[in-house]
Amino acid sequence: MKKMAFAAIALALGMSGPAQADAVLVLNSEEASFSILTRSGRTELARLPVGREPHHLLVTPDGKEVLVGSTATNELLVLDAKTGERRRVVRDIIDPYHLGFSPNGKWFVTAAYRLDHVDIYRADDFKLAGRIFIDGLPSHMAFDAESKTVFVTLQQTGKVVAFDLEAQAIKWNTKVGEAPAGIVMLPDNKRLLVALTGADGLVVVDPKDGSTIGSLQTGKGAHNFFPKGDGRHYFLSNRIEGTVSLIDTQDMKVVGNIRVPGGPDCMDITLDGKELWVTQRFLRRIAVVDIEQMKVVASIPVGKSPHGVLMLKSGVAGAVVAPVRAASTADDKK
Amino acid sequence: MRQLIDIWIGAQTWIFETLVSSVLFHFGLMEWFEPAFNAVEIVMLGVVQILVIALGMRFFERRWPLERWANDDFVAVDRVYTVLNKLGIIPLAVFMVTYPISNEIEHLVRAWGYAPPRLERMLPWLHDSALGSFLVYFILYDFAAYWLHRAQHRFGWWWALHSLHHSQRQVTVWSDDRNHILDDLLMTLALVVFAQFVGVQPDDYILILMIGRLVESWSHANVDMSFGQVGERLLVGPRFHRLHHAMAGPDERHIHDHNFAPVFPIWDIMFGTANYDGKRRPTGVDNPEVDVDNGRGWITQQVTVVGRLARALMPRRFRRATAL
Repeated sequence: MKKMAFAAIALALGMSGPAQADAVLVLNSEEASFSILTRSGRTELARLPVGREPHHLLVTPDGKEVLVGSTATNELLVLDAKTGERRRVVRDIIDPYHLGFSPNGKWFVTAAYRLDHVDIYRADDFKLAGRIFIDGLPSHMAFDAESKTVFVTLQQTGKVVAFDLEAQAIKWNTKVGEAPAGIVMLPDNKRLLVALTGADGLVVVDPKDGSTIGSLQTGKGAHNFFPKGDGRHYFLSNRIEGTVSLIDTQDMKVVGNIRVPGGPDCMDITLDGKELWVTQRFLRRIAVVDIEQMKVVASIPVGKSPHGVLMLKSGVAGAVVAPVRAASTADDKK
Repeated sequence: MRQLIDIWIGAQTWIFETLVSSVLFHFGLMEWFEPAFNAVEIVMLGVVQILVIALGMRFFERRWPLERWANDDFVAVDRVYTVLNKLGIIPLAVFMVTYPISNEIEHLVRAWGYAPPRLERMLPWLHDSALGSFLVYFILYDFAAYWLHRAQHRFGWWWALHSLHHSQRQVTVWSDDRNHILDDLLMTLALVVFAQFVGVQPDDYILILMIGRLVESWSHANVDMSFGQVGERLLVGPRFHRLHHAMAGPDERHIHDHNFAPVFPIWDIMFGTANYDGKRRPTGVDNPEVDVDNGRGWITQQVTVVGRLARALMPRRFRRATAL
């Protein structure tokens, strides 16, 4: 059955020629499945099972595999990064809600949202190096460029915590605002952007000490980031507002808003940089945004509560772009 | 089909965005954003259930009633129970109490390294069959509910609560939700923890509740109907369940200790509690202290049953002779 599904997927992707690199994975978090879609055909090719409550996914540093966190079953499903085919399961990764590899590829970090801890694993063998229990729903993460620190948002307590990766200890723990979720380190390595889902925008945080050094209004329920790819602009989904804002991080201002209804959440950009795909959690769909026109041009049905999304990057592209991404909230190394 | 789903989701999203999300945002409750969205769906499903009961099941009761009453005054309170439950008011109260407890249990167990086993590991074919997977989890869930129901009858203190459900002399399609809130709380907690442990996924859980409760509403219908010789051994129907509500008599002191299964009678057949004799019996309880529930309103029933529970928990020497 599964082999037939993958044969169909390969056939469908093969028929689209250059679009082979354009398969898209979407995690249906309340349906225990992931969807494989074709960008060019804008249809769902297959829906395949994955553990329970999958939320985020990311590409391994070598670009060959995709890790899907299955939170309720304490495991990672490992997929082939070219085809999306299931390869193996890594067990005993506890409540892997959000996932990230440090830029140097040494550490693999998970935020256990339900179980209130942050786990630091050695990336080469997934052996646990340290577990830090911390109250407040650890949510999303970002790394500094030197791979010394991982920054984690705590959605319930409104804080951001900085963990020393080598010492597996807390460096600072600071209140930043209501329900911080998405977090991203800017390319200058001097500013963290933190989306405040309980407010209507983002705050700029100094990674040295956690002090707030700026803010920007974007829309109610600001939630998650994705880089446009030019090192300067970032997309930010606003879940209550039902929009995605395009932010100029140099001038720190909103340069555009796109109406994306249905609780927009995670995002990814097609390899050619022309389309932004945004999961619409409530509508059980994924929206396709034409970046030049700044508007939704398609909305494709998927499973229930679609969350993480990833463009499968076949061939060499995946190895080049993948290494430093925290799941669905990439930093800007494209 | 997709159009129907889109209409349903569109309505759910509109209700959520118009009435709920801004409240959560205002009160700083954004960590409940996703659960609240699902709660809206549960309420919507509750409305559908009420419509199915009021328009569909009631048709059969009006057309082919088993018992005819001069008036159905005792039924009114059961309608209150149904509306409070189906519209999510009782479930919300129960959730607020049970969530921290079930959450703490999950934290503890998972901290010990236990993860839900998921049947798909033992039965890989379930991966490829959404329907098969749903049915297997439904059957498991019903198995747990069967044994919990037996416990409700087995332990005196629990029967003190559950007897409210049995005290109804006019059992109808509205009677399924007639339960004390503490009874609801205990059952919910036990079933949620069970569902977490065996790995029932959230989407399936909602569907199991929806279908299960509809079957249970129908099984209380005031009609003498079944699903036939074979069917009534596969699915609980009114004739099968009415015996469970039969009033105990001198010759049948434990007649209500039969036909416990909520949805699948196989459990009663397997464990020797099935009774298919088909005799018609009056419903209710033969204990005057419990029978007084009839005619009382929702609040009075809820308050007085707490007294019944307190007496059941007292050492025997302190109980009045007529107490449970």
